[in-house]
Amino acid sequence: MPPDDTDPIADDLGAPDASHAPDGDWPSMSDDVYVGGDAELASGDSYDPYPAAADTDDGAEQRELERRVDEGRTPVYPLDDRRRLPLPGLWRRWRAFAMRGRADMVDDFGRDPIATARWEWVLDFLYAKWFRTEVRGLEHVPAHGRAILIANHAGSLPYDSAMLLHAIRRDHPARRDVRPLVEDAVFHLPWLGPLMNRIGGVRACPENAERLLEKDELIAVFPEGVKGMSKLWRDRYRLQRFGRGGFVKLALKTGAPIIPVAVIGAEEALPLLGRVTWFAKSVGLPYVPVTPTFPWLGPAGLLPLPSKWKIAFGPPIDLAGEYGAAAAEDRLLVSRLAEQIRGQVQAMVDDLRR
Amino acid sequence: MATVSVGNARPRRAQGRVVAITGACTYLGTELIKRLEEDRRYAKVLVLDVKAPSILAAGATKARFFPIDLTQPTIDGEIAALLQREQVDTVVHGAFLSHPTHATEWAHEFEDVGTMHVMNACAAAGPARVVMVSTTMAYGAHPENPNFLDERAELRGHQDSRFINDKVRAEKQAARFAREHPHVQVATLRFAPILGPTINNLHTRFFSRVTAPVMAGHDPLMQFVHEQDAAWALKRAVDSDAVGPFNIVGKGVLPYTTVLALMGRVPVPLPFLLARSIAKALWATQIVSTAPSLLDYLLYVCVADGTRATRDLGFTARFSIKRTILDFVGASPEDGATDVASSFA
Repeated sequence: MPPDDTDPIADDLGAPDASHAPDGDWPSMSDDVYVGGDAELASGDSYDPYPAAADTDDGAEQRELERRVDEGRTPVYPLDDRRRLPLPGLWRRWRAFAMRGRADMVDDFGRDPIATARWEWVLDFLYAKWFRTEVRGLEHVPAHGRAILIANHAGSLPYDSAMLLHAIRRDHPARRDVRPLVEDAVFHLPWLGPLMNRIGGVRACPENAERLLEKDELIAVFPEGVKGMSKLWRDRYRLQRFGRGGFVKLALKTGAPIIPVAVIGAEEALPLLGRVTWFAKSVGLPYVPVTPTFPWLGPAGLLPLPSKWKIAFGPPIDLAGEYGAAAAEDRLLVSRLAEQIRGQVQAMVDDLRR
Repeated sequence: MATVSVGNARPRRAQGRVVAITGACTYLGTELIKRLEEDRRYAKVLVLDVKAPSILAAGATKARFFPIDLTQPTIDGEIAALLQREQVDTVVHGAFLSHPTHATEWAHEFEDVGTMHVMNACAAAGPARVVMVSTTMAYGAHPENPNFLDERAELRGHQDSRFINDKVRAEKQAARFAREHPHVQVATLRFAPILGPTINNLHTRFFSRVTAPVMAGHDPLMQFVHEQDAAWALKRAVDSDAVGPFNIVGKGVLPYTTVLALMGRVPVPLPFLLARSIAKALWATQIVSTAPSLLDYLLYVCVADGTRATRDLGFTARFSIKRTILDFVGASPEDGATDVASSFA
């Protein structure tokens, strides 16, 4: 078949370079895992660009057909100048410059390994030097397989989720990556939201959580949500209502064990003296925090005070094994279990304070 | 005009299938004709469009052109007569705009009412299978979207984008048609934004400019499907018996700013409200034809999950998002900026 005449320079190029062939399946990995760049894509001779459809009996004929049409079509890389910047050298350099500090492959939920590595030292400084974090009970976190970390939440900005994430990445023998579920109010904050997303945060919603657990990831849930972050100084260490028990349903449905986590120190890192709500709505925030340093020092006031942090992990609770997956529909049971786990985390917090 | 029931449905495999395609001049329509020409299971291809696609002049043998303008008031009767006369067993409805237009009234007549005409004709002529082209943009970019929208997600569209909402209405008509005619297989393909070296649509025009607006402080994940993958998905949908909506998506996602960096576009950060006023002004003066409502897709994630297409349609994208982008800009991998991750891995 002659080349499509909509392409103005179809005959400028010969056959497409073999190295430009479309990449096949990422070898020996499911589509969902992160693949660290193109090095993984060169799979050698075994590469089959036309995988057979699973459900058709005429797979070979289909592949032959696809190959014929592909051969007859325009080259893979027509040099369309309209899509390039004017000066090729400048263009190339600009692209290299623009890609600094970011990976050209992120995982399904947007974690960028290069951005993560770039922010590592900030988290490490906060974790080890600034907050002098003490961690107990890390052995309760499984080295592989799905699990839900249920933690308390405080301190106006999600420093606690960052520290929890870093604690497991730094001190757990398996160096697992935790995916904290971030509430909407933070996830859609300008700059902070995308940053959280790049280093592993995921918008908190049941679909995302289920998907992560199906992939046997370790997720961190803060069931108090914004209510927890916005608790005032006088209510510190007192856990708020644990959402609507969504995390219990999640654990029952996916069979993931729940690991209660108590975090202490976030309350003092950004002690919340008051909340201003009357103009917060107009700037798209749930509230404007008032701390000893914010807004008096401007954005610098959002930096945390050097409080002493402690993180404790409790033994895993296997809800699905005890109640079965069908129990996720039992609303009374779900809310009772949520309250029970809240009590457990509260007890761990009280225990850490001693 | 009796509808054909399952029992005496036309033999689909015996002497070759007959396919009618609306919107044959679009990229997907032309590519589908190419593939049907090659496939011996198909006997005839009816090309319904206002002008003959270039592939006919290039020597297509199975395709025959019938001038059909979907904006004409009584076109549904004509299409129905044509479908019955030619014994069509598969109708592919792909006559949709790939780009917003200032002629919104005409666009509405063409996409929404045009779909009504096609569905009316199908109801009268009773083909065995109807395949409709749609887009994942119909889900709408909303702050409450999960990272992956599956086919069960509501089509929320956009509150003031006619371009999106006409497609949502067309999908709803197809869904209603499928409900009312259970003996007709109706499949809807929701394509992620299609990029590629030859296709011309909203996204390729947007990304062909040197600069691109970035909503300050927002960086949603984006998803594309390569034009070849999209064409094969459409062919597979015509081949198979699977019914219902399918998301046709590429492999992998990337943040919007990384997409721009890979393409070498210059990002212009603007606060959303300012960007929206500028876009509205540019739209009103008809300087650009990118609708201001589409800025929402730069704020919130609208990424679909293609598992169902893999399972029921046997379609898996062959191109990763990075390769799709490089293919679109015509860059070879050694053109700089792409070895960053491999050095990290």
